[in-house]
Amino acid sequence: MPENGTRKTIEAARLHRRQLLAVTLAGLAGTAVGFKVSPVRGQAKKFAGLTITGAAFQSTYHEYLKTYLPEFEAETGMKVDFQQQAFPVYNQRMDLELSTKGSAYDFCNLTFIYSGRWVGANWFTPLNEFVTDANKTPPDWDAEDFVAGTTQHLKNAKGEIFAFPWEAGAMLMAAARGDLIEKASLGMPTTFDELMKVCEATNGKEGVAAYVTDRLHHWNFIPYLMGFGGKVFRNPPDDLMPAFDTAEGARAADYFARLLAEMSPPGVMSFTDDQAMRAQMSGRANIRTNAITWLTALVKHQESKVAKTSRFALMPVGPAGNFPGSNSHGFGIPAGAKNKEAAWAFITWAVSKKTIERIVKEKGYGAVCRRSVITSDYFTQSLTLNGDSVAPLYLQVLELGGKTGYMKYRTVPVYPQVGDKINKAIERIATKQQKAPEALAQAKDEAIADLKKAGIQL
Amino acid sequence: MPRLARPLPVATTLTVRHEHPTRGAAGRERLAPERQRFYWRMLMPALAVLFAVTVAPTLFLLVTSLTPLDLTKPETTADFRAPLRNFALLLEDRRFLNSLWVQAKLSFWTVSLQLLIGLGFALLLHMRSTLLQALRTVFLIPMVLPPIVVAIIWKVIYTPDISPFHWAIQAIGFNMPALITHADWALTAIIIADTWEWFPFTMLMILAALQMMPEEHVDAARVDGANAWQLTWFVTLPYLRGVLLVAGLFRLIDSIKAFPLIYILTDGGPGSLTEVTNYYGFIQAFNFSFIGYSSAITVVLVTFTVLLSWLTLRLVGWGRYVE
Repeated sequence: MPENGTRKTIEAARLHRRQLLAVTLAGLAGTAVGFKVSPVRGQAKKFAGLTITGAAFQSTYHEYLKTYLPEFEAETGMKVDFQQQAFPVYNQRMDLELSTKGSAYDFCNLTFIYSGRWVGANWFTPLNEFVTDANKTPPDWDAEDFVAGTTQHLKNAKGEIFAFPWEAGAMLMAAARGDLIEKASLGMPTTFDELMKVCEATNGKEGVAAYVTDRLHHWNFIPYLMGFGGKVFRNPPDDLMPAFDTAEGARAADYFARLLAEMSPPGVMSFTDDQAMRAQMSGRANIRTNAITWLTALVKHQESKVAKTSRFALMPVGPAGNFPGSNSHGFGIPAGAKNKEAAWAFITWAVSKKTIERIVKEKGYGAVCRRSVITSDYFTQSLTLNGDSVAPLYLQVLELGGKTGYMKYRTVPVYPQVGDKINKAIERIATKQQKAPEALAQAKDEAIADLKKAGIQL
Repeated sequence: MPRLARPLPVATTLTVRHEHPTRGAAGRERLAPERQRFYWRMLMPALAVLFAVTVAPTLFLLVTSLTPLDLTKPETTADFRAPLRNFALLLEDRRFLNSLWVQAKLSFWTVSLQLLIGLGFALLLHMRSTLLQALRTVFLIPMVLPPIVVAIIWKVIYTPDISPFHWAIQAIGFNMPALITHADWALTAIIIADTWEWFPFTMLMILAALQMMPEEHVDAARVDGANAWQLTWFVTLPYLRGVLLVAGLFRLIDSIKAFPLIYILTDGGPGSLTEVTNYYGFIQAFNFSFIGYSSAITVVLVTFTVLLSWLTLRLVGWGRYVE
């Protein structure tokens, strides 16, 4: 039997070991619990073990974003299943998915041409509460930094915002073979008249078609329609009576149809965006007016054969002014999503200044929506293409759409129906099935029938 | 001709035919109630599945066609205030009426060409030649390819920039327009692609029938002095009439479902020149969210298909050839 002092020493030692064990266990438990729920230390790991699912149409931005996703997942603890489909497939699927208010997706793309319909039908979650909650949004995130023209259609009449843009499309003009224009002693066209003259002078030279476009005429044709003084609707979004069947509309349609039928490569009316871009990149077609995403590739894409001959300018001006198309697509949270907070964490990261800056600097992406990035030196430098400073042109177009609101026609819920009729009319005119006035009148009749079907009062 | 053993026709008549010489054709007797109940019990699972996968969706389609269902307006789901509105609108819809005409042209030409070419190739491949027998498999390739792959192959062929076909034509000094965007050629381009994809089906059916054709018919005709043409016209073709009918009917129904080629090649254009009815219904439902209207289009299409099938069978006489 140990002596008293010795017993005390042994008991003290036992106590010490117990305390040590208890402290260690408590520490381990605390650490584990702390990682899981602590709002202070654990903000970064708040979503540990959670998997969120998102969807969008295919885009280079998403490809770039995916390369940084592991960092985001390590920081937050969540996993992101980010699915992408081709543009029309995505829109059709999401239209159906959103209409069920299902919970299959935690975040998804809010597509520009569907914004009126999806926002108007309350299929997305208002994000204002997330933005103003300091616990959910970093203080320097700055929601006001997005160029006004890129968020207008993502809001409802009450000013609630339903998505934040990751891509802006500003319609510019690019000539893949600027050298052919110079050889004809002409410059980059600034008016519709000049554009047609340049096309006439250069078409077929060295086997190059003067013009090219893709088959989405309801996007490509409208700046010409408005430039000639025509309108899509009488006064959107309040008065949706189709108004494109005017004399100005017919002139615009004839002009655009001539570009398609006489100045473009054979088969242009079946061209997708990518086909049109590749026709330019390979030097088979010269001028295209479209969103910047499709134009910068002429210089930046490694397969481009026209990197040294490409030139950039604003969309030519028509007799009634300049109405280059602009749009933007944003990340939003479906109304039925289960993990809204985690989805918001993803969105704040995906369109944060830091992420966009990285994508611009490291990947050369040019279709961004944050003013602070667009006006930065590195962006200006990145978008100086063959001596043409494209960044200011880009910002100018985005702001133009926001200031005058001429792009409102595109965000009304019934634009997919009306746009389809315009598409068909342009095809009929360009293939000489109908004269422009007749084709536009038919398109108007069909559009009115669809608007009535949709319950629109005209 | 010896009578072939056949399965009991329980699903249709619930009677049993006994091969008893004294009862003859009238040799049918009612099943005992107990046995009848047994048959019904055995049939119930199959009928339940059939109801779930066929009848229920058809009923839903029919009900939906009586509403103005628009996905953006949930309140329209059960709005039966004007049940025939969609059908009335269809009568005034020029694009829908045009789609029926386009469908008729597409079906006529594709089914006719597939039967003719399928018959020609089947007669050719029926000859006793090792080379031709080896070629049979090759001819089946278009049919076994996924339809979307077929559409992409033809997209490449029809796109001047990347088409070896167009390059070849240009190399010999000719210029050919882009068929799928040309008003005079777009539908023909679809017909050619569809025929290429599906003539092996008719060829296969006809070839199978030819291989089962009794030799004695041919031999008897030859003894009677028939030449090759007379053999084909008076012996082979009458023998093939039944299989031609079945193959034609299959292809007719399938032609009404034509979709991938149009989706990939022309998107219904230029204008609406290649827009068939099911494609128009698809656009109404999935591009515009007009589910009610699209259902009405589909109801018309289903009715039309059923009527057409019934009429064809009546005219050509299904029963005689099956019996």
